[in-house]
Order: sequence, then C-alpha cells, then structure tokens
Amino acid sequence: DNSGVVLGLDEEVKVAKKRQPIAKLDENRLLTQAGIPKLRRSARKNLKFKGRGHEFSDLARLLNFYQLWLDDLFPRAKFADGLAMIERLGHSKRLQTMRRTWIDEEKPKPADDAP
Amino acid sequence: GPLNHTVEVVDPEVRAHVYSLVTALGGFNGDDADKYVLGDDALSCLRDIKRWLKLYDEKFNRMDVARCLGEANLVNGDLIQILSLWWNEGQQSKYMSRIALACVELLVPLTWPLEIHGEMTVNHHRHIPYLQQAQVGYKRGILNIANCGLLRAVIRIGLPSMAVPRSERTARDEGILKIMLYLLRNIAVITANARLAAEGEEEETSRSATINAFHDQDVFALILTMCSNVSDDFNMLDIPLLETLFHIVKGIDVEKLFMNDAQRTAKRTDELNDLLQQENSMRREYAKNAPTRHGRFGTMIWVKRDDAKMSTVSGQDVLRDGQMTLHKMDQSKKWNKPRRGRKAQDMSANNDFNTPVLISPSATAKLRTFVEEFLDSGFNPVFVHVRKAIERESVRVLDINKRHFLYTVSWFLAAERARRARQREKFAQNEKKPGKELEPDSFGLVAGVFNQETFVFLNRSMQNSLDNKEWEDLNAAMRCFTQILLTVQEMSQSPLEEDQEIAENIQNRIFYEETTHDRILTIIRGYTDQGFGYLDACTELSHVFLRMLERYSKENVDMQVRSRRRARKKKRDEQSSNEGNDEEQASDDEDYAEAEKMSKERKFDFTRFAAKFSNQKCVDTFVAFIKFYKELNTEQLKRAHRYFYRISFKQEMTVLLFRVDILNLFYRMIKGPGGMDSSKPIFKEWEELVRQLIRRLLKKLDQRPALVTELLFSKINSTAFYLEYGYEKQTITPS
Repeated sequence: DNSGVVLGLDEEVKVAKKRQPIAKLDENRLLTQAGIPKLRRSARKNLKFKGRGHEFSDLARLLNFYQLWLDDLFPRAKFADGLAMIERLGHSKRLQTMRRTWIDEEKPKPADDAP
Repeated sequence: GPLNHTVEVVDPEVRAHVYSLVTALGGFNGDDADKYVLGDDALSCLRDIKRWLKLYDEKFNRMDVARCLGEANLVNGDLIQILSLWWNEGQQSKYMSRIALACVELLVPLTWPLEIHGEMTVNHHRHIPYLQQAQVGYKRGILNIANCGLLRAVIRIGLPSMAVPRSERTARDEGILKIMLYLLRNIAVITANARLAAEGEEEETSRSATINAFHDQDVFALILTMCSNVSDDFNMLDIPLLETLFHIVKGIDVEKLFMNDAQRTAKRTDELNDLLQQENSMRREYAKNAPTRHGRFGTMIWVKRDDAKMSTVSGQDVLRDGQMTLHKMDQSKKWNKPRRGRKAQDMSANNDFNTPVLISPSATAKLRTFVEEFLDSGFNPVFVHVRKAIERESVRVLDINKRHFLYTVSWFLAAERARRARQREKFAQNEKKPGKELEPDSFGLVAGVFNQETFVFLNRSMQNSLDNKEWEDLNAAMRCFTQILLTVQEMSQSPLEEDQEIAENIQNRIFYEETTHDRILTIIRGYTDQGFGYLDACTELSHVFLRMLERYSKENVDMQVRSRRRARKKKRDEQSSNEGNDEEQASDDEDYAEAEKMSKERKFDFTRFAAKFSNQKCVDTFVAFIKFYKELNTEQLKRAHRYFYRISFKQEMTVLLFRVDILNLFYRMIKGPGGMDSSKPIFKEWEELVRQLIRRLLKKLDQRPALVTELLFSKINSTAFYLEYGYEKQTITPS
C-alpha cells in the first residue's frame, strides 16, 4: 500500500519560515533616539521662521519638518496615518508622563518663588 | 445536466398554483387583443392570491409567493389593467367595484416597503433584491398608466367610505380608507435602488414623478383634507399620513423650494458656475504640476536630509516646488493604516433623510403649493395628533414613526421660515408702490409644536436616543430642536407684541433646564463616526444653541437655570479622574440619574458655559466636520469658522488647535492641493483665521519649545493651560 506516498503523506512537512516581524510605530519606537529626542534636537537646530507676512510658507516649513521626521522614523506610513498613530500613543500613561516631563523641563524653577 | 444553471428557488408546486391563479384571472387573449378580458371567476382568483400571500408568505415568513407574482407580472399585466378597465367603464358595476377593491387589497402588500432588517432568512436575502426591483416596476406602471389616472382610481375607491361620518363608519369602511392611504404611502416610499441596475426607471419613478402624479391626480388634495380633519374624521390614519408626508419631503432642500424662478435660475447658474470653477481650478492645479515634457523624460531628484540621508522622487514636477516633492513622496507610499471595521450595513435605506434629493422645476412648483396649503391648514392638526399618539404608545405607532415625526416637523418649520422670508422679500420689492402694507402674520399656524408638551417630548426623545445610541433618531431630534430654536428666534423679532411675548416665554422655558445645556454639550463631545448627516446636525445645533443662548443671557442679565447640583458635582469629579473612559461613564450616568434629585436655581453664567465647548473632543468634532470643506456650503463653512474663532480668540485656547494634523488640514484648505474656492468671501475669512492662528503658533513655539513635541498630541487638560498662558492655573483651595 503506497497510497501514502502518492498523496505525499509521508513526506517531511516543511515548516514555513517565520515572517519578519513588521516594524510597528509604538511607544518604544517613538521614544528611541530617532523619535521624539531627535525631533526636539533638530527643532532647536533647524526650525527657523521668517515671521510676519510669511505665515503660510512658515507653516509649510513646519509641516515639512514633521513629515520628514516621520518619514525617517516610520517610512511605511503616509503622513496623515503616521500622525494619527502617534496621537493615539499620546494617550498612554507612559507617554503622558514623558510629555509632562518635557514640559516641566522648560518651566522656570519653582524654588525661586517658593515662600 | 451540467449546463443547467437554473436553481429552483421556489417550490415548483407553489409556483404552479400561483401561476395558474394569475392565468385564470384574465388576460389579453380574447378576440380584441387590445382589451383586457376578465376571467370567469376573477374575484375568487384575486381572493385566492390574497390567501396565498397571507397563508404561505406571511405565515411561514417566506417571500416565495410575492416572488412568483413578480415573475408572473401580476401587477402590471393584470391588476393595473383591471383597475383601468373599471375606471374606463364608469365605475358603475357593483361586481367590478368589488373586483377593483380586491386589486387594491393586493397592491398594498405587494408594494409594501422592503427593508433589510436583523432577522432575515435565506429566503429574504434571495428574494429581496428581485422584489425591490419588481416594486420599482410596479411603481412605474402605477404612475405612468396612460389612459387612466390610477391613483385617482384608488382614491375613488375610498371616497364613499370617506363620505360617511366617522360615527357611522363600519370596520370595512375604516379598512378601505387604511388600504387606500397605505397604497399611497407605499408609492411614495418606493425608489429605484442605486445599488441595483436600473433600466431607465429612475426618471419615471423619481421623486419628481411622484410629486407630479400626486398633484395631478389629487392625492395632495386628499392628504390635505385628511390632515386638516385628522382629529375629527380620520384619527386612525394619522400615522400613514405622517409617513407619506415624510417620504415626500425627505431630503428636499427647503431653500430651493421657496426661491422664485429668477432666484432659482440664478442659484442654478451659481451652482453650475461653482462646478465649472471647481473643475477649472482642478485643471489649473493639475496644469501647474503637470509634466511639461513627455512621460518618459525620467527626471529624478534627491531630497537631501539633514543627517546626510537622501530620498529620491521622480518626475519633473518635483524640481520646482519643495511642497510638491513632499506631497508626492507621501502619495507614493503604498501602506495604509488599517481602518476600524466599517459599521454594519445601513438598515434604514427607506428612512434616510440625509441624502439630498433634487426635483424638477414643475415638481418644485407643485410641491411648494402643497407645502403652503399644508402649513395653512394641516400642520397643527396632524402634528399635535401624531405626538399624542406616539406618547400614548398607541398600537398603530412604530418606533420609526418618532423619527418621521421629528424630521417632518423640522422640515416644515424650515419651510415656514423660508416662506416668511420670501414674503418679506416680495414686500420689500413692492415697497416703492404706495398703499400696500405687510400684514404681520402670527406664528399661530405652527403653534402646535410650540407648547410645553412638545418640548418635554423632544427633550425626552433626545435623551433616550442619546442613551440608546440611536443616532439617526437623535439626528432627527436635533434637527427638530434646531428648527424650533430658529423659529423662536424669528418669532422674537416679530412686529406683533403677542409673538414676542410667546417667544420670550418659550426661550425662558427652553433655557431654564440646565440638563438641556449639558445635553447639547454631551452630544457635540460624543461624535465618533455617525456619518456626515449627523455631524451636520450636531454642529448646527450647538452653533444655533450657543448663539441664541448668548443673546438671551445678555438680554436677561440675571437669567436663572435649574441645576441639578449635587449629582452633577459628583459627576464632574468623576469625569476629570477618568477622562476618556466613555463606557464607564455611560453606566455611571444611570446611577446618577437616580441621584439627580437635588435641584436648585442658580444664576446662569454664559461665559462659563461657552468655555465648556473648548475641549479637545469638541474641537475634534468640528475638525471632522471641516474635513468635508470641499462639499460644505457657505453657511456650514461659516459655522465651523465661528467655532474655531471662538476657541482661539474668545476662549483663548488656541493650543487645542495646535496639532499637526489640524494644522495640516487648515493649510490644505487655504493653499491646496485641493483647497477651498478662493473666489468666495468665506475663503477670505478662513484665510485670515488661519493666518492669525499661525502667528500665534510661531510665537508660542518660540516661547515654549516643548510645544514641538506637544504638537503631535491632543493636549492633556493639566498642561493645556500652561501651554496657552505660560503659567499654572491658579487653583483656589478652600481653607
């Protein structure tokens, strides 16, 4: 009885290789050096505006700045999609804490006006 | 055999029975091939067919008989022919009159609205598309039969019963009136289904065709008579009357209906101009970026990145314009963020009032005549009667009727205001001629919905729909409330002192309950994905409500509201502690409904109330709305503009708008690609608003570098204030 051979039942089963995990835009990625830290660094360095009379070109510059940053961080996503994903992440506990810290860093030291 | 693809969907025996009945009913096979000849036992054939529908289809919840009757062409081939035979013979024969009635009795179930609903069997899914298509054919036959006004014939059948005073009417009389009216309603409901292939039937079965036939064959006259006498003579027919009204007016633009011909032509020219303009600008935009050389010219550029990285984009268009390059880079990405699953199929195609419906000039004139006559004589009797029936939960009332009621009331109130506007306009034009006085018209014609009972009903409906997430019902209720507010506002400007007093009174009542204020807020905050019609309704309501409340509270400096304080305080605490947790909120609300016993009066503070609208959720709702900017009209664009203006420059909470996606949207609206029409005045207003916003943004970015990260996110309440003002909110702790 060799029906098993004909049907291929006796052949070794090949296990398909696991797919490469798809990169995700998550908290961890957002907090790596390429993420928010880089955004803050390069904003200080690169974001320069022309001011009054150039409002729309200034806004275009700002938007491009974010788009390129996002493209580096997570090339798969279109700009609008990427923004929406990041906005969602912003609701998590961890990011909220981080966001507060970033804001607090720039606040004037409270020690001065304490009674 | 293998080539035989016919699948027998109906039991062959059933089919054979039904077919034999239809054949025996009569046909064109006599000596004179043009004349329909009744079979010998036509009346019992009709009764048998009715029995089949009842005892097979209805009883076993199938649609097989209806399907067979559709395939056997019973309606157009027999019923309509018999009715016109009866009509043309002068309606004298008693036997023929009975047959005619039996035909109408069959037409009613065969034209009954088919809705996709929750509890459908395989059979329903199999037959409904076929039957929907067949019904469109029935409607076409009924509206277009050449030699006899068939609707008039149907009315003729009901007239004797109508003439009998109600006290003397038999159950049979009432039954005849009911089937007559339900047939007319069914005709109004049937529409060519956009999803099924139509064979040139859209025009012949369109709303225009319906309106024309209803006018020409005195259906409107019948409806008017019944509406104005509904409480005395026709009190069991209020619901089919309401439904017919609903299906006639749903989706029709009130403004256009009341324009005169010159205005309408102008409007149409405007619209055409707008469209051409839109197309032009699309073309111009394309031309701006279109390649100037052939498609294989093969330009490629590098976009230099800061850390010595390069991106490449191809095409000549990208050489000139940095913005274009980035846009193209973005467009070329293949991956899309997975969307949340679409909501289940819309179950209420027949009851949809969000889709605009266009009607022909002749139908417009006829409908307007009907609407004016209805406002003069039918509005109060019908709507008062229907509201009472709904409140009493009368057996003839279905859930859907509440939606019909609210939408139809809102539509006719809008019509009444449009009519008044047109009268004023006419008067202004004639003012040069002396001797004519505008007689101020009181609002008595629509007073039936301006009483305490209606407000209670409306408030309760809104709350119930909100609690049960019945969004289309809520949509209708919101529209109704908006129209009531707008009408009251006009009433308060009436030259008649009595009107002013009543308006004052009504406003006082509407604005007295703090729960109403809070409900508006809850609705506008709670938008998720209920669709454009809902979005339109809720933004309009909050816009109108805020504006009127602002004016009213200014005029009545110590306006009092009844607030439910104790419970609300608890709720507010809860809210701030679990921000964004809606489900928990919903169940908590029920608990607090119990606790909401303590109520007391306190002074109303408009500024504080308006401030409640400056939060991320409200902003997101209006952002969702303005995303449709290409399709919005001036009034809608203005509505959104006013809201964002209020947020930025009255509430001083621009940070709520400082989010990259919102800024990106605003930028696109003004600068494109695909921006607003820049020739319109409203464009200038928007451009200025966005310009001011950018100025603030750049200033704030300079003052508070942390905004660079915060631009990515919705602001947390606790930090929003700091970002806006640069210092912490002073919280006063009682000592």
